[in-house]
Amino acid sequence: MFSVTLRCLGRQVHQQNKSLAPLFTYSKNGLNTEATFDTKPFKLHKLEEGPATTVTLSRQDALKYYKDMQMIRRMETAAGNLYKEKIIRGFCHLYSGQEACCVGMRASMRSYDAVITAYRAHGWTYVMGVDAVGVLAELTGRSSGCARGKGGSMHMYVKNFYGGNGIVGAQQPLGAGIALALKYQGTDGVCLTLYGDGAANQGQLYEAMNMAQLWKLPVIFICENNGYGMGTSVDRASASTAYYTRGDYVPGIWVDGMDVLAVREATRFAIDHCATGKGPMVMEVVTYRYSGHSMSDPGTSYRSRDEIQEVRQTRDPITGFRERMLSSDLATADELKDIDQNVRQVIDDAVKRAKSDKEIGLDELTADIMSNPIDTRVRGVTAFDTLTHKRLGPAVNSP
Amino acid sequence: MASITRFRACDHLLNLNAFRSSFKKNGMPSAFWFHTTPQKFVVELKMPSLSPTMTSGTIVNWHKKEGDTVNPGDVLCEIQTDKAVMAFETEEEGTLAKIFVGDDSHDVQVGSLIALLAEPGEDWKSTTCSDTSKVTSEKANNPPKPNCDVSSLEHQDKKNSKRAMTLGPAVRNLLERYGLSPIAILGSGPRGLLLKGDVLHYIQKENLKPVPIVSPTAESKISLKAIGTEPKKSDLSKGTMKKIQNLTHEQEYQDLELSNMRRTIAKRLTASKTGIPHAYSTINCKVDTVMNLRKKFKNEGIKFSVNDIIIKAVATALDLCPEANVIWQGNELVQPTNVDISVAVATKSGLITPIVTDVLGRGVLEIGDIVRDLAERARVGKLQLHEFQGGSFTISNLGMYGISEFSAIINPPQCAILAVGGSRLELGDDGKPTTVMSATLSYDGEAISPLAAATFMSTLQGLLESPQSLLLGHRSLPE
Ligand SMILES: Cc1ncc(C[n+]2csc(CCOP(=O)(O)OP(=O)(O)O)c2C)c(N)n1
Ligand SMILES: [Mg+2]
Repeated sequence: MFSVTLRCLGRQVHQQNKSLAPLFTYSKNGLNTEATFDTKPFKLHKLEEGPATTVTLSRQDALKYYKDMQMIRRMETAAGNLYKEKIIRGFCHLYSGQEACCVGMRASMRSYDAVITAYRAHGWTYVMGVDAVGVLAELTGRSSGCARGKGGSMHMYVKNFYGGNGIVGAQQPLGAGIALALKYQGTDGVCLTLYGDGAANQGQLYEAMNMAQLWKLPVIFICENNGYGMGTSVDRASASTAYYTRGDYVPGIWVDGMDVLAVREATRFAIDHCATGKGPMVMEVVTYRYSGHSMSDPGTSYRSRDEIQEVRQTRDPITGFRERMLSSDLATADELKDIDQNVRQVIDDAVKRAKSDKEIGLDELTADIMSNPIDTRVRGVTAFDTLTHKRLGPAVNSP
Repeated sequence: MASITRFRACDHLLNLNAFRSSFKKNGMPSAFWFHTTPQKFVVELKMPSLSPTMTSGTIVNWHKKEGDTVNPGDVLCEIQTDKAVMAFETEEEGTLAKIFVGDDSHDVQVGSLIALLAEPGEDWKSTTCSDTSKVTSEKANNPPKPNCDVSSLEHQDKKNSKRAMTLGPAVRNLLERYGLSPIAILGSGPRGLLLKGDVLHYIQKENLKPVPIVSPTAESKISLKAIGTEPKKSDLSKGTMKKIQNLTHEQEYQDLELSNMRRTIAKRLTASKTGIPHAYSTINCKVDTVMNLRKKFKNEGIKFSVNDIIIKAVATALDLCPEANVIWQGNELVQPTNVDISVAVATKSGLITPIVTDVLGRGVLEIGDIVRDLAERARVGKLQLHEFQGGSFTISNLGMYGISEFSAIINPPQCAILAVGGSRLELGDDGKPTTVMSATLSYDGEAISPLAAATFMSTLQGLLESPQSLLLGHRSLPE
């Protein structure tokens, strides 16, 4: 469609702001079909060479990233509102502020690469293929939820996505295991294993890294450093906050996690490294969480509201990307507004579904616990009243 | 330049279509991408639940006013939950168009509409809410309603019963006198209303006689007869029959009139137990020393009871722990100047709590005398009002009945009551038998903190275990 593209080097245009100076590719008719940007330099650990800091972005990709990030932002806003209306109950950890991480990584993933993350899983569930209804209805516990409403916030799964994990640090060894499986199956698939800055201090991460390095497992250990654990800032919790170096013998990259393009490039680089048999890699994406840790945390007792507002104004992943798209003529303001409106509509509709949808019957409570049940009885409240195990849906990610 | 702009518009359309179809591929509903007229969005701001147990709250004050721009992360207003005052932040962007529930609004239900937000750049003044009924309150998480409309059923039911109920006094009188049911007679009034004429007509037609009026005593005579001999059915209308059957059962019981005092006590206890957050703490005291002391004095001819010492010790402990020495005065908590202890006394008509005033200023013997005098007069109902109304703390001792431990109900406006059990022998730490007594404090969780209650109880324990410390009192100057 955009066959007639001319590479036009316009570096001279933005001399004064060189690091962000886009290189444009015009289509014959004016609006650019491609632009080139510089990312913040990556910091490297045990690596000779890092990812490219000059990245090219097509208009089509730009629009997709923008839409995805907006969708996640609005979805999380909706989730927060539903929670405050007591329609979502229990645990609920929002991803607002961290959208560029999952969207950037997803952009470099191949169809057969796998992901596992912690409880902050809504954004990832969405980019791995579950629509907003699937996420929001899961949160409200209704049958259109991606886990039929039985899992809730921390337990969403879909093909190649091994879910949210509620135990801090539990998913890192699992991720190494998934990587082992991918390697064993003879694919060159890679497992993206995400954890927080808090989970970076859990011991099992280092056991997993050790084995991954010994066995050259295709796993990227990705530390989403959002500055805080459950209320403790990174420098109060970690003896070393240079998380990208903490794999010691595992090479690492530091990435600006608020720049979807930097994340995309670094992920491409890391996937390439792992897929070519060089073993694991550590990636630290530096980002920020706007909401409290979970819904019960107002998020302002260990940091100031000013700090949050400053990040929103100076580093916001969506606003930043939007400005890049506009200043490089990859899209018009009207187009972006159109996307915003449509995203809003999709989320509003999804909220309606998530509120009005039915809950599953009690008989399904003990369905689909095991993909291949050996015993069809499931223990009830006491050992004496057992319930029947049923197999209903297809097993996600079962071999 | 001009040519570029000319093509730009065209490119825009072209690309947007490509972009649209790319999303269609991704499984987006196509209708979504083709709707062209941008819809106007109004965000309804609902009363948030800012604590897991909050069901309603107070809007303390708004940080934004109508017409103000709102950015994600901004604080809209301060809300008092059941736990604390919290900032209500928004993730939305726009203009605060309308505030429905203003500053200092109490009891705002979670989920009810409190404000409207217009999209940035929209004319916020024209923003309206689609459904204003939401303003009052919309219950959160309404599960999908069942198909059958219960409310309309209920309505119908009410209508029926109401029709059956509408009977004029003359009609009711006639029905009663002739022992008739209103259902049997057809009403000729508006909407089938039963009229006096209808009943009279019916009585005439059926040639009915009034049912004999039976006085209560007469009734019981009948019932006595009824036990032995069967009543002749033809003699009595159905209504009377029923009464007789009931009476034969009633014969096996005897109604006991509740005294006004019992009623008042019950009412006050219910109000206290349901209205005051009762909390409890129990402590065991080794009372060997007190027992020995008492024995020693008794041998010397000086008599007092353990209870008298307990009263003294409680007053001293209250004096030493001022946080536990509080009473309500209206909505305010005050510290009484004197420690006046109410002592529960069981009388025939119920429990009464005469007061030993200014316990701190009195010795154990005097306390004992006062208690015995008050108890005596309480039992014969000769207490004056001021002798049992007031007091800052109550002691209830059931030790003499062999009760080992129990918990009592607070007597407002007091904030605490101590329930004292009897003493028992236990194996002490040293392997020797020791005499132990349990005391349970019931305290008003709103007025007294668990820590203050615990401090009071352990102070009391200390005083009872080494009664010589009752001599010490306060230091006049801080250490
Ligand atoms: C083993 C374990 N310990 C403690 C917790 C409680 N907990 C839940 S999240 C969390 C903080 C983790 O912070 P981080 O890894 O930085 O992730 P973030 O929430 O920032 O995404 C803690 C301590 C838990 N879930 N599991
Ligand atoms: Mg963190």
